[in-house]
Amino acid sequence: MSASTTSKAPVADPKNGNGEAVPEKKPAASLEEDDEFEDFPIEDWSEEETQIPGGNTHLWEESWDDDDTNEDFAVQLREELKKLGQK
Amino acid sequence: MQAALQPFHDAHASGQAWRVAYTLSPVPPHDDPGRLYDFYRASNEHQVEGDIRYALKYSQTSKLPPKESGAWTDIFVIYWRAVGEILRAEEASNQGRMNDGQWINVYDAWKEVANAIIKYISNGALPPWTVMCMYSVGNHLRLFAMKADTQLAQVEPSVTFSTGLQDDVVTGVAKNNKLEEAARVFNKMFALCLGDRNPDINESRKWGVYCMANLLFKTYFKLKAISLSKNVVKSIEAQVDLPMFDLYPQSHKITYRYYVGILAFLQEDYANAEQHLTEAWDHCFPESTKNQELILTYLIPCRLITKHNIPSPALLAAFPHLQNIFGPLVTCIKSGDLSGFDNALLASEPEFVKRRIYLTLERGRDIALRNLLRRVFLAAGFEELKEGQAAKDRMRKTRLPIEHFATALRMGTRGEGSGQVLDDDEVECLLANMIYKGLMKGYISRDHGMVVLNKKGAFPGTGV
Repeated sequence: MSASTTSKAPVADPKNGNGEAVPEKKPAASLEEDDEFEDFPIEDWSEEETQIPGGNTHLWEESWDDDDTNEDFAVQLREELKKLGQK
Repeated sequence: MQAALQPFHDAHASGQAWRVAYTLSPVPPHDDPGRLYDFYRASNEHQVEGDIRYALKYSQTSKLPPKESGAWTDIFVIYWRAVGEILRAEEASNQGRMNDGQWINVYDAWKEVANAIIKYISNGALPPWTVMCMYSVGNHLRLFAMKADTQLAQVEPSVTFSTGLQDDVVTGVAKNNKLEEAARVFNKMFALCLGDRNPDINESRKWGVYCMANLLFKTYFKLKAISLSKNVVKSIEAQVDLPMFDLYPQSHKITYRYYVGILAFLQEDYANAEQHLTEAWDHCFPESTKNQELILTYLIPCRLITKHNIPSPALLAAFPHLQNIFGPLVTCIKSGDLSGFDNALLASEPEFVKRRIYLTLERGRDIALRNLLRRVFLAAGFEELKEGQAAKDRMRKTRLPIEHFATALRMGTRGEGSGQVLDDDEVECLLANMIYKGLMKGYISRDHGMVVLNKKGAFPGTGV
Protein backbone atom coordinates (compact mmCIF):
# COMPACT_ATOMS: atom_id res chain seq x y z
CA MET A 1 0.00 0.00 0.00
CA SER A 2 1.66 3.16 -1.06
CA ALA A 3 0.70 6.74 -0.68
CA SER A 4 0.26 7.05 -4.41
CA THR A 5 -2.97 5.09 -4.16
CA THR A 6 -4.74 7.92 -2.39
CA SER A 7 -6.87 10.31 -4.34
CA LYS A 8 -4.44 13.11 -3.68
CA ALA A 9 -1.15 11.36 -3.80
CA PRO A 10 1.41 13.07 -1.63
CA VAL A 11 4.00 11.72 -3.99
CA ALA A 12 4.18 12.19 -7.69
CA ASP A 13 3.35 8.85 -9.17
CA PRO A 14 6.17 8.02 -11.56
CA LYS A 15 3.80 6.22 -13.89
CA ASN A 16 1.43 9.14 -14.27
CA GLY A 17 4.27 11.59 -14.37
CA ASN A 18 6.21 9.53 -16.89
CA GLY A 19 9.31 10.56 -15.07
CA GLU A 20 8.44 14.11 -16.01
CA ALA A 21 10.75 16.58 -14.42
CA VAL A 22 9.47 18.23 -11.30
CA PRO A 23 10.18 21.76 -12.37
CA GLU A 24 11.92 22.81 -9.25
CA LYS A 25 15.16 24.55 -9.95
CA LYS A 26 17.28 25.85 -7.18
CA PRO A 27 17.84 29.51 -7.75
CA ALA A 28 20.71 29.79 -5.33
CA ALA A 29 23.18 27.21 -6.52
CA SER A 30 26.14 29.42 -5.79
CA LEU A 31 25.18 29.70 -2.14
CA GLU A 32 25.06 26.03 -1.47
CA GLU A 33 27.51 24.23 0.66
CA ASP A 34 29.70 21.94 -1.34
CA ASP A 35 28.54 18.78 0.35
CA GLU A 36 24.87 19.64 0.17
CA PHE A 37 22.85 16.97 -1.51
CA GLU A 38 21.02 18.34 -4.52
CA ASP A 39 17.29 17.96 -5.05
CA PHE A 40 16.62 15.17 -7.52
CA PRO A 41 14.94 16.28 -10.76
CA ILE A 42 12.14 13.78 -10.15
CA GLU A 43 10.63 12.57 -6.93
CA ASP A 44 10.47 8.84 -7.55
CA TRP A 45 11.93 6.37 -9.99
CA SER A 46 11.91 2.65 -10.52
CA GLU A 47 14.62 0.14 -9.72
CA GLU A 48 15.27 -0.37 -13.44
CA GLU A 49 16.11 3.28 -13.84
CA THR A 50 18.83 3.09 -11.23
CA GLN A 51 20.74 0.40 -13.04
CA ILE A 52 24.11 1.77 -13.95
CA PRO A 53 25.34 0.63 -17.36
CA GLY A 54 27.88 -2.08 -16.77
CA GLY A 55 26.35 -2.86 -13.42
CA ASN A 56 27.75 -2.38 -9.98
CA THR A 57 30.60 -4.80 -10.41
CA HIS A 58 34.22 -3.75 -10.86
CA LEU A 59 33.62 -0.59 -8.87
CA TRP A 60 35.92 -1.65 -6.08
CA GLU A 61 39.14 -3.55 -6.01
CA GLU A 62 41.58 -4.91 -3.51
CA SER A 63 44.01 -2.42 -2.11
CA TRP A 64 47.01 -4.66 -2.77
CA ASP A 65 48.70 -5.58 -5.95
CA ASP A 66 50.50 -8.77 -6.89
CA ASP A 67 51.37 -7.82 -10.39
CA ASP A 68 54.34 -5.68 -9.50
CA THR A 69 57.30 -7.81 -10.46
CA ASN A 70 58.59 -5.29 -12.95
CA GLU A 71 57.73 -2.19 -11.07
CA ASP A 72 60.56 0.13 -10.07
CA PHE A 73 59.98 -0.06 -6.38
CA ALA A 74 59.75 -3.84 -6.31
CA VAL A 75 62.95 -4.15 -8.30
CA GLN A 76 64.75 -1.68 -6.06
CA LEU A 77 63.51 -3.48 -2.99
CA ARG A 78 64.84 -6.78 -4.25
CA GLU A 79 68.19 -5.18 -4.98
CA GLU A 80 68.39 -3.68 -1.51
CA LEU A 81 67.46 -6.95 0.13
CA LYS A 82 70.03 -8.78 -1.96
CA LYS A 83 72.70 -6.39 -0.71
CA LEU A 84 71.66 -7.20 2.86
CA GLY A 85 71.96 -10.88 2.17
CA GLN A 86 75.52 -10.50 0.90
CA LYS A 87 76.74 -8.74 4.01
CA MET B 1 -7.09 36.46 -11.49
CA GLN B 2 -9.34 33.64 -12.63
CA ALA B 3 -6.87 32.87 -15.42
CA ALA B 4 -3.86 33.27 -13.15
CA LEU B 5 -5.19 30.65 -10.76
CA GLN B 6 -6.26 28.23 -13.49
CA PRO B 7 -2.99 26.23 -13.16
CA PHE B 8 -3.82 25.71 -9.49
CA HIS B 9 -7.28 24.39 -10.32
CA ASP B 10 -5.86 22.07 -12.95
CA ALA B 11 -3.16 20.82 -10.62
CA HIS B 12 -5.60 20.31 -7.78
CA ALA B 13 -7.95 18.37 -10.05
CA SER B 14 -5.06 16.21 -11.29
CA GLY B 15 -4.43 14.99 -7.77
CA GLN B 16 -0.68 15.41 -8.09
CA ALA B 17 0.75 17.12 -5.05
CA TRP B 18 3.91 18.28 -6.77
CA ARG B 19 1.89 20.09 -9.42
CA VAL B 20 -0.03 21.94 -6.74
CA ALA B 21 3.21 22.72 -4.94
CA TYR B 22 4.54 24.08 -8.17
CA THR B 23 1.76 26.67 -8.45
CA LEU B 24 3.06 28.03 -5.13
CA SER B 25 6.64 28.21 -6.37
CA PRO B 26 8.57 31.47 -6.18
CA VAL B 27 10.30 30.50 -9.43
CA PRO B 28 8.38 30.81 -12.71
CA PRO B 29 8.23 27.75 -14.97
CA HIS B 30 10.62 27.53 -17.94
CA ASP B 31 7.78 27.60 -20.42
CA ASP B 32 6.14 30.59 -18.78
CA PRO B 33 8.83 32.92 -17.44
CA GLY B 34 6.32 35.72 -16.93
CA ARG B 35 4.05 33.76 -14.63
CA LEU B 36 4.96 35.54 -11.38
CA TYR B 37 4.65 38.93 -13.06
CA ASP B 38 1.28 38.10 -14.61
CA PHE B 39 -0.01 36.76 -11.31
CA TYR B 40 1.11 39.84 -9.42
CA ARG B 41 -0.31 42.20 -12.03
CA ALA B 42 -3.68 40.45 -11.93
CA SER B 43 -4.60 42.29 -8.75
CA ASN B 44 -3.59 45.00 -6.29
CA GLU B 45 -3.19 45.29 -2.54
CA HIS B 46 -6.76 46.53 -2.00
CA GLN B 47 -8.53 43.93 -4.05
CA VAL B 48 -6.27 40.92 -3.90
CA GLU B 49 -8.17 39.12 -1.17
CA GLY B 50 -11.54 39.51 -2.87
CA ASP B 51 -10.08 38.62 -6.26
CA ILE B 52 -8.46 35.42 -5.05
CA ARG B 53 -11.44 34.40 -2.93
CA TYR B 54 -13.76 34.81 -5.91
CA ALA B 55 -11.41 32.98 -8.29
CA LEU B 56 -11.06 30.00 -5.96
CA LYS B 57 -14.72 29.81 -5.04
CA TYR B 58 -16.26 30.12 -8.46
CA SER B 59 -14.09 27.98 -10.64
CA GLN B 60 -15.71 25.86 -13.31
CA THR B 61 -13.15 23.08 -13.12
CA SER B 62 -12.62 22.48 -9.45
CA LYS B 63 -14.92 22.37 -6.46
CA LEU B 64 -13.11 22.97 -3.21
CA PRO B 65 -14.78 22.40 0.13
CA PRO B 66 -15.48 25.80 1.74
CA LYS B 67 -12.98 25.31 4.53
CA GLU B 68 -10.21 24.33 2.11
CA SER B 69 -11.14 27.13 -0.25
CA GLY B 70 -10.80 29.62 2.59
CA ALA B 71 -7.39 28.23 3.51
CA TRP B 72 -6.08 28.43 -0.06
CA THR B 73 -7.45 31.97 -0.36
CA ASP B 74 -5.44 33.07 2.63
CA ILE B 75 -2.31 31.24 1.43
CA PHE B 76 -2.51 32.69 -2.07
CA VAL B 77 -3.04 36.23 -0.76
CA ILE B 78 0.10 35.91 1.33
CA TYR B 79 1.86 34.28 -1.62
CA TRP B 80 0.78 37.21 -3.82
CA ARG B 81 2.46 39.64 -1.39
CA ALA B 82 5.61 37.51 -1.32
CA VAL B 83 5.66 37.46 -5.13
CA GLY B 84 5.57 41.25 -5.01
CA GLU B 85 8.71 41.26 -2.87
CA ILE B 86 10.42 38.76 -5.16
CA LEU B 87 9.69 40.88 -8.23
CA ARG B 88 10.99 43.99 -6.46
CA ALA B 89 14.14 42.14 -5.45
CA GLU B 90 14.71 40.90 -8.99
CA GLU B 91 14.15 44.35 -10.40
CA ALA B 92 16.64 45.82 -7.94
CA SER B 93 19.06 43.08 -8.82
CA ASN B 94 18.71 43.84 -12.54
CA GLN B 95 19.36 47.48 -11.87
CA GLY B 96 22.37 46.67 -9.75
CA ARG B 97 21.12 48.15 -6.50
CA MET B 98 21.02 45.17 -4.19
CA ASN B 99 21.99 47.04 -1.07
CA ASP B 100 18.68 47.71 0.59
CA GLY B 101 18.02 44.34 2.06
CA GLN B 102 15.56 43.12 -0.59
CA TRP B 103 16.27 39.47 0.09
CA ILE B 104 15.55 40.04 3.74
CA ASN B 105 12.11 41.35 2.73
CA VAL B 106 11.62 38.38 0.44
CA TYR B 107 12.57 36.02 3.24
CA ASP B 108 10.20 37.68 5.69
CA ALA B 109 7.33 37.63 3.20
CA TRP B 110 8.00 34.02 2.26
CA LYS B 111 8.11 33.00 5.91
CA GLU B 112 4.50 34.15 6.11
CA VAL B 113 3.61 31.75 3.29
CA ALA B 114 5.28 28.94 5.22
CA ASN B 115 3.53 29.84 8.46
CA ALA B 116 0.14 30.05 6.74
CA ILE B 117 0.48 26.60 5.23
CA ILE B 118 1.58 25.19 8.60
CA LYS B 119 -1.46 26.81 10.21
CA TYR B 120 -3.96 25.36 7.74
CA ILE B 121 -2.44 21.91 7.73
CA SER B 122 -2.43 21.70 11.52
CA ASN B 123 -6.03 22.87 11.86
CA GLY B 124 -7.16 20.36 9.28
CA ALA B 125 -8.37 22.84 6.67
CA LEU B 126 -5.91 21.40 4.15
CA PRO B 127 -5.78 17.68 3.38
CA PRO B 128 -2.70 15.63 4.40
CA TRP B 129 -1.19 15.42 0.91
CA THR B 130 -0.48 19.16 1.06
CA VAL B 131 2.57 18.34 3.21
CA MET B 132 4.40 18.11 -0.12
CA CYS B 133 3.43 21.74 -0.81
CA MET B 134 4.66 22.57 2.68
CA TYR B 135 7.98 20.88 1.93
CA SER B 136 8.37 22.82 -1.30
CA VAL B 137 7.57 26.12 0.41
CA GLY B 138 10.01 25.18 3.18
CA ASN B 139 12.79 24.35 0.75
CA HIS B 140 12.43 27.77 -0.87
CA LEU B 141 12.38 29.40 2.56
CA ARG B 142 15.75 27.76 3.22
CA LEU B 143 17.18 29.20 0.00
CA PHE B 144 15.77 32.68 0.70
CA ALA B 145 17.13 32.52 4.25
CA MET B 146 20.63 31.85 2.93
CA LYS B 147 20.34 34.72 0.45
CA ALA B 148 19.07 37.01 3.20
CA ASP B 149 21.93 36.01 5.49
CA THR B 150 24.44 36.71 2.74
CA GLN B 151 22.89 40.12 2.24
CA LEU B 152 22.77 40.80 5.97
CA ALA B 153 26.47 40.07 6.13
CA GLN B 154 27.04 42.69 3.43
CA VAL B 155 24.75 45.50 4.54
CA GLU B 156 25.29 45.35 8.26
CA PRO B 157 28.34 46.84 9.86
CA SER B 158 30.88 44.23 10.77
CA VAL B 159 30.11 44.53 14.48
CA THR B 160 26.45 44.49 15.34
CA PHE B 161 24.33 43.92 18.39
CA SER B 162 22.41 40.76 17.92
CA THR B 163 18.66 41.00 18.11
CA GLY B 164 18.14 38.09 20.41
CA LEU B 165 18.53 35.38 17.82
CA GLN B 166 21.88 34.41 19.16
CA ASP B 167 23.37 33.90 22.54
CA ASP B 168 26.30 36.16 21.82
CA VAL B 169 25.65 39.76 22.69
CA VAL B 170 27.89 41.03 19.96
CA THR B 171 28.51 39.13 16.78
CA GLY B 172 31.72 39.84 14.97
CA VAL B 173 30.36 38.88 11.61
CA ALA B 174 26.76 38.51 10.61
CA LYS B 175 25.85 34.91 11.18
CA ASN B 176 23.09 32.73 9.85
CA ASN B 177 20.32 34.52 11.71
CA LYS B 178 17.63 33.95 9.13
CA LEU B 179 18.58 30.35 8.52
CA GLU B 180 18.47 29.65 12.25
CA GLU B 181 15.04 31.19 12.34
CA ALA B 182 13.97 29.12 9.32
CA ALA B 183 15.21 25.97 11.10
CA ARG B 184 12.59 26.58 13.77
CA VAL B 185 9.92 26.80 11.07
CA PHE B 186 11.15 23.49 9.58
CA ASN B 187 11.03 21.90 13.00
CA LYS B 188 7.36 22.81 13.26
CA MET B 189 6.76 21.29 9.83
CA PHE B 190 8.66 18.13 10.80
CA ALA B 191 6.68 17.75 14.02
CA LEU B 192 3.45 18.28 12.11
CA CYS B 193 4.30 15.32 9.86
CA LEU B 194 5.76 13.05 12.50
CA GLY B 195 3.01 13.56 15.04
CA ASP B 196 0.02 12.97 12.78
CA ARG B 197 -2.36 10.64 14.58
CA ASN B 198 -4.62 9.79 11.66
CA PRO B 199 -4.89 5.99 11.73
CA ASP B 200 -5.58 5.84 7.98
CA ILE B 201 -2.06 5.75 6.61
CA ASN B 202 -3.25 6.82 3.16
CA GLU B 203 -4.50 10.04 4.65
CA SER B 204 -1.45 10.62 6.80
CA ARG B 205 1.00 13.47 6.98
CA LYS B 206 3.60 10.88 7.94
CA TRP B 207 4.46 10.59 4.25
CA GLY B 208 6.19 13.92 4.65
CA VAL B 209 8.47 12.80 7.49
CA TYR B 210 11.59 11.95 5.50
CA CYS B 211 11.55 14.89 3.12
CA MET B 212 11.10 17.27 6.05
CA ALA B 213 13.94 15.49 7.87
CA ASN B 214 16.10 16.03 4.80
CA LEU B 215 15.26 19.73 4.84
CA LEU B 216 16.36 19.87 8.48
CA PHE B 217 19.59 17.98 7.69
CA LYS B 218 20.51 20.42 4.93
CA THR B 219 19.81 23.32 7.24
CA TYR B 220 21.66 21.90 10.23
CA PHE B 221 24.67 20.91 8.15
CA LYS B 222 24.83 24.44 6.81
CA LEU B 223 24.57 25.76 10.37
CA LYS B 224 27.23 23.22 11.41
CA ALA B 225 24.84 21.89 14.05
CA ILE B 226 25.48 18.19 13.53
CA SER B 227 24.13 17.16 16.94
CA LEU B 228 20.73 18.60 16.07
CA SER B 229 20.68 16.34 13.01
CA LYS B 230 21.17 13.35 15.29
CA ASN B 231 18.08 14.42 17.23
CA VAL B 232 16.07 14.24 14.00
CA VAL B 233 17.23 10.65 13.43
CA LYS B 234 16.47 9.75 17.03
CA SER B 235 12.93 11.08 16.89
CA ILE B 236 12.27 9.20 13.65
CA GLU B 237 13.63 5.99 15.14
CA ALA B 238 11.48 6.48 18.22
CA GLN B 239 8.33 6.79 16.08
CA VAL B 240 7.17 3.21 15.75
CA ASP B 241 4.11 3.70 13.55
CA LEU B 242 5.71 5.21 10.44
CA PRO B 243 4.97 3.59 7.06
CA MET B 244 7.64 1.12 5.89
CA PHE B 245 10.73 2.99 4.77
CA ASP B 246 10.71 1.15 1.44
CA LEU B 247 7.35 2.66 0.50
CA TYR B 248 8.62 6.24 0.43
CA PRO B 249 9.65 7.85 -2.86
CA GLN B 250 13.26 7.27 -3.88
CA SER B 251 14.25 10.93 -3.62
CA HIS B 252 13.19 10.99 0.05
CA LYS B 253 14.96 7.72 0.83
CA ILE B 254 18.24 8.39 -0.98
CA THR B 255 18.66 11.86 0.51
CA TYR B 256 17.84 10.54 3.97
CA ARG B 257 20.33 7.69 3.64
CA TYR B 258 23.03 10.07 2.47
CA TYR B 259 22.71 12.26 5.54
CA VAL B 260 22.26 9.39 8.01
CA GLY B 261 25.29 7.77 6.39
CA ILE B 262 27.39 10.89 6.92
CA LEU B 263 26.19 11.16 10.52
CA ALA B 264 27.28 7.57 11.16
CA PHE B 265 30.55 8.29 9.36
CA LEU B 266 31.25 11.29 11.59
CA GLN B 267 30.64 9.10 14.64
CA GLU B 268 33.12 6.61 13.21
CA ASP B 269 30.38 4.02 12.94
CA TYR B 270 31.78 2.95 9.59
CA ALA B 271 29.80 -0.27 9.23
CA ASN B 272 26.53 1.61 9.53
CA ALA B 273 27.77 4.43 7.33
CA GLU B 274 28.80 1.95 4.65
CA GLN B 275 25.38 0.33 4.68
CA HIS B 276 23.49 3.61 4.27
CA LEU B 277 25.86 5.05 1.70
CA THR B 278 25.90 1.85 -0.34
CA GLU B 279 22.10 1.86 -0.44
CA ALA B 280 22.14 5.50 -1.49
CA TRP B 281 24.73 4.76 -4.18
CA ASP B 282 22.90 1.72 -5.54
CA HIS B 283 19.58 3.52 -5.96
CA CYS B 284 20.71 7.04 -6.78
CA PHE B 285 19.13 8.63 -9.84
CA PRO B 286 21.77 8.06 -12.55
CA GLU B 287 21.57 11.56 -13.99
CA SER B 288 22.24 13.18 -10.62
CA THR B 289 25.99 12.85 -10.94
CA LYS B 290 26.74 15.53 -8.35
CA ASN B 291 24.84 13.47 -5.79
CA GLN B 292 26.64 10.31 -6.86
CA GLU B 293 29.93 12.11 -6.40
CA LEU B 294 28.91 13.27 -2.94
CA ILE B 295 27.95 9.74 -1.90
CA LEU B 296 31.29 8.40 -3.13
CA THR B 297 33.19 11.14 -1.31
CA TYR B 298 32.18 9.42 1.91
CA LEU B 299 31.82 5.86 0.67
CA ILE B 300 35.44 5.67 -0.57
CA PRO B 301 37.05 6.48 2.82
CA CYS B 302 34.41 4.31 4.46
CA ARG B 303 35.25 1.20 2.46
CA LEU B 304 38.93 1.80 2.94
CA ILE B 305 38.32 1.28 6.67
CA THR B 306 35.67 -1.44 6.60
CA LYS B 307 36.82 -3.57 3.68
CA HIS B 308 40.31 -2.29 2.90
CA ASN B 309 38.96 -1.69 -0.59
CA ILE B 310 39.85 1.05 -3.00
CA PRO B 311 37.81 2.40 -5.92
CA SER B 312 38.63 0.88 -9.28
CA PRO B 313 40.21 3.06 -11.97
CA ALA B 314 36.95 2.80 -13.94
CA LEU B 315 34.93 4.18 -11.04
CA LEU B 316 37.27 7.10 -10.46
CA ALA B 317 37.47 7.84 -14.19
CA ALA B 318 33.76 8.59 -14.20
CA PHE B 319 34.25 11.35 -11.62
CA PRO B 320 37.17 13.63 -12.57
CA HIS B 321 37.08 15.55 -9.32
CA LEU B 322 37.25 12.37 -7.25
CA GLN B 323 40.02 11.13 -9.53
CA ASN B 324 41.89 14.31 -8.69
CA ILE B 325 41.65 14.05 -4.94
CA PHE B 326 41.55 10.28 -4.38
CA GLY B 327 43.50 9.02 -7.38
CA PRO B 328 47.05 9.70 -6.11
CA LEU B 329 46.10 8.47 -2.65
CA VAL B 330 44.83 5.07 -3.76
CA THR B 331 47.78 4.58 -6.12
CA CYS B 332 50.14 5.06 -3.20
CA ILE B 333 48.10 2.79 -0.94
CA LYS B 334 48.24 0.08 -3.54
CA SER B 335 51.98 0.32 -4.10
CA GLY B 336 52.80 0.80 -0.42
CA ASP B 337 54.42 4.15 -1.11
CA LEU B 338 54.33 5.86 2.28
CA SER B 339 55.99 9.14 1.27
CA GLY B 340 53.70 9.36 -1.73
CA PHE B 341 50.72 8.73 0.53
CA ASP B 342 51.76 11.48 2.92
CA ASN B 343 52.23 13.89 0.03
CA ALA B 344 48.92 13.02 -1.56
CA LEU B 345 47.14 13.50 1.75
CA LEU B 346 48.86 16.84 2.19
CA ALA B 347 48.09 17.98 -1.35
CA SER B 348 44.33 17.67 -0.88
CA GLU B 349 44.29 18.41 2.83
CA PRO B 350 42.06 21.52 2.67
CA GLU B 351 39.40 19.65 0.73
CA PHE B 352 39.65 16.55 2.93
CA VAL B 353 39.32 18.63 6.07
CA LYS B 354 36.36 20.54 4.67
CA ARG B 355 34.60 17.30 3.83
CA ARG B 356 35.49 15.92 7.26
CA ILE B 357 37.20 12.88 5.77
CA TYR B 358 40.82 13.73 6.55
CA LEU B 359 41.12 11.73 9.75
CA THR B 360 39.49 8.70 8.19
CA LEU B 361 41.74 8.80 5.14
CA GLU B 362 44.76 9.17 7.38
CA ARG B 363 43.98 5.71 8.69
CA GLY B 364 44.52 4.45 5.15
CA ARG B 365 48.25 4.82 5.84
CA ASP B 366 48.05 1.54 7.73
CA ILE B 367 46.89 -0.14 4.55
CA ALA B 368 49.73 1.40 2.59
CA LEU B 369 52.14 0.18 5.27
CA ARG B 370 50.61 -3.28 5.21
CA ASN B 371 51.14 -3.41 1.45
CA LEU B 372 54.75 -2.33 1.82
CA LEU B 373 55.47 -5.04 4.40
CA ARG B 374 53.63 -7.53 2.25
CA ARG B 375 56.05 -6.78 -0.55
CA VAL B 376 58.98 -7.66 1.67
CA PHE B 377 57.27 -10.96 2.34
CA LEU B 378 56.72 -11.58 -1.38
CA ALA B 379 60.27 -10.55 -2.24
CA ALA B 380 61.66 -13.10 0.20
CA GLY B 381 60.44 -15.85 -2.08
CA PHE B 382 59.97 -19.50 -1.27
CA GLU B 383 61.55 -22.19 0.81
CA GLU B 384 63.35 -24.82 -1.18
CA LEU B 385 61.17 -27.68 -2.25
CA LYS B 386 61.33 -30.74 -0.07
CA GLU B 387 61.56 -34.13 -1.56
CA GLY B 388 58.35 -35.23 -3.17
CA GLN B 389 56.73 -31.77 -2.72
CA ALA B 390 54.83 -30.41 -5.69
CA ALA B 391 55.77 -26.95 -6.92
CA LYS B 392 52.32 -25.62 -6.21
CA ASP B 393 52.66 -26.62 -2.55
CA ARG B 394 55.88 -24.81 -1.94
CA MET B 395 55.95 -22.57 1.10
CA ARG B 396 56.90 -18.92 1.28
CA LYS B 397 59.72 -18.01 3.59
CA THR B 398 58.10 -16.92 6.83
CA ARG B 399 61.16 -16.16 8.92
CA LEU B 400 62.42 -12.78 7.80
CA PRO B 401 65.07 -10.53 9.36
CA ILE B 402 63.69 -7.31 10.88
CA GLU B 403 66.41 -5.60 8.89
CA HIS B 404 64.59 -6.44 5.66
CA PHE B 405 61.47 -4.68 6.86
CA ALA B 406 63.56 -1.76 8.09
CA THR B 407 65.14 -1.43 4.66
CA ALA B 408 61.77 -1.44 2.95
CA LEU B 409 60.39 1.10 5.40
CA ARG B 410 63.34 3.39 4.86
CA MET B 411 62.85 3.10 1.12
CA GLY B 412 59.12 3.73 1.48
CA THR B 413 59.50 6.81 3.60
CA ARG B 414 62.41 8.50 1.93
CA GLY B 415 62.11 11.41 -0.42
CA GLU B 416 60.29 14.69 -0.16
CA GLY B 417 57.56 15.19 2.33
CA SER B 418 57.80 12.55 4.97
CA GLY B 419 60.90 13.87 6.70
CA GLN B 420 61.10 10.69 8.68
CA VAL B 421 64.23 8.97 9.80
CA LEU B 422 63.33 5.61 11.24
CA ASP B 423 65.48 3.98 13.85
CA ASP B 424 65.34 0.26 14.55
CA ASP B 425 63.11 0.59 17.59
CA GLU B 426 60.57 2.50 15.57
CA VAL B 427 60.59 -0.18 12.91
CA GLU B 428 59.83 -2.80 15.52
CA CYS B 429 57.13 -0.59 16.93
CA LEU B 430 55.48 -0.24 13.52
CA LEU B 431 55.66 -3.99 12.99
CA ALA B 432 54.18 -4.67 16.43
CA ASN B 433 51.40 -2.24 15.63
CA MET B 434 50.57 -4.02 12.39
CA ILE B 435 50.39 -7.30 14.29
CA TYR B 436 48.26 -5.71 17.00
CA LYS B 437 45.83 -4.35 14.39
CA GLY B 438 45.54 -7.77 12.79
CA LEU B 439 46.88 -6.55 9.46
CA MET B 440 49.84 -8.89 9.79
CA LYS B 441 49.94 -12.24 11.57
CA GLY B 442 53.02 -13.40 13.37
CA TYR B 443 55.44 -12.36 16.09
CA ILE B 444 58.74 -10.60 16.50
CA SER B 445 61.61 -12.66 17.81
CA ARG B 446 63.82 -9.95 19.28
CA ASP B 447 66.61 -12.29 20.32
CA HIS B 448 67.15 -13.39 16.77
CA GLY B 449 66.21 -10.09 15.13
CA MET B 450 63.61 -11.93 13.12
CA VAL B 451 59.97 -11.59 12.26
CA VAL B 452 58.20 -14.93 12.22
CA LEU B 453 55.05 -14.80 10.13
CA ASN B 454 52.13 -17.20 10.04
CA LYS B 455 52.60 -19.93 7.49
CA LYS B 456 49.02 -19.50 6.44
CA GLY B 457 47.63 -16.01 5.98
CA ALA B 458 50.52 -13.82 7.03
CA PHE B 459 48.63 -10.84 5.64
CA PRO B 460 44.97 -11.72 6.15
CA GLY B 461 42.62 -11.08 3.29
CA THR B 462 45.36 -10.48 0.74
CA GLY B 463 45.80 -14.00 -0.56
CA VAL B 464 49.13 -14.67 1.15
